[in-house]
Amino acid sequence: MSELFGTQYFGFIASSFGVTLIVLLGMTIWILMTYHARRKALAKLEAAGIKRANKT
Amino acid sequence: MTIADTQNLPRGLTALANPTRFLALVRVVLPVLTIITIGLLAIGLWLGFSVPDDYQQGRTVRIMFVHVPSVWMAMGAYMVMVSGALGVLVWRHPLADVAARAAAPLGACFTFLGLATGSIWGRPMWGTWWVWDARLTSFLILFIIYLGLIALWNSMEEPAKSARIAAVAILVGAINIPIIKFSVDWFTTLHQPASVLRTDGPKLAPEFLYPLLTMGLAFLFLFLTLHLMAMRNEILRRQIRTLQRKAAREIRSANKAST
Repeated sequence: MSELFGTQYFGFIASSFGVTLIVLLGMTIWILMTYHARRKALAKLEAAGIKRANKT
Repeated sequence: MTIADTQNLPRGLTALANPTRFLALVRVVLPVLTIITIGLLAIGLWLGFSVPDDYQQGRTVRIMFVHVPSVWMAMGAYMVMVSGALGVLVWRHPLADVAARAAAPLGACFTFLGLATGSIWGRPMWGTWWVWDARLTSFLILFIIYLGLIALWNSMEEPAKSARIAAVAILVGAINIPIIKFSVDWFTTLHQPASVLRTDGPKLAPEFLYPLLTMGLAFLFLFLTLHLMAMRNEILRRQIRTLQRKAAREIRSANKAST
């Protein structure tokens, strides 16, 4: 892999893998953040005494 | 939609009609899928960067190891949405719309990656970032379809109503999938014909084929992992919405009682 650095097409190869990493990592972080936000919102509602039918 | 509506489904799918049971399954399956995905990505990347230079593409052949799996997953995610649409319209499975809706942003991301990495590869190999040939154009249309479907879901508050409309739209948009696949055979395109998924077997040399298949498998497991996580988020969103409506109803009846 080290022989790729500084070669003619290094910029194209690095940007392909770079954009893939950014998009997939961004997607994963967004999904995880949404999950934690929704768990928090659900817990807040349940703490206020509003429970789902199967939890009462 | 009730669990009783899903009685005609295969037994395994009927069991998953209960979101609580589905969430329990996700809790068990997710760590396993995550480990497999990380392992496959590590092996795939190592194999991908160990290949020799291609006699025509030189070092840029490595871009294929992220471009091709992204394209496969972009189309695979749409097929998941088609299954979800059929689940909504035919079996009325409670999780079918959840599955379709959760797959849309993932499909859009993989389609964007297919377009972006293809464009980056095209500049040094074709001498241009973009051409309006049948393969590239139909793939761009897939991206627009994904964005349209996401907008459609977001524009409608009521899941039961949006599910059927989105399901019909998904099935109409599915016409684009065979067009993407066979565009290189039906039209004269700058994009090369299929070299892996062919009826007469792959035409790719084994030293490139195995790293590509490993990365393909890694992307498949990544999609499955993210899809389950996104489905879990969508179920939580619906549970929050139900509780918020319940809270609003309770406040309304309390106000009525006091007046």
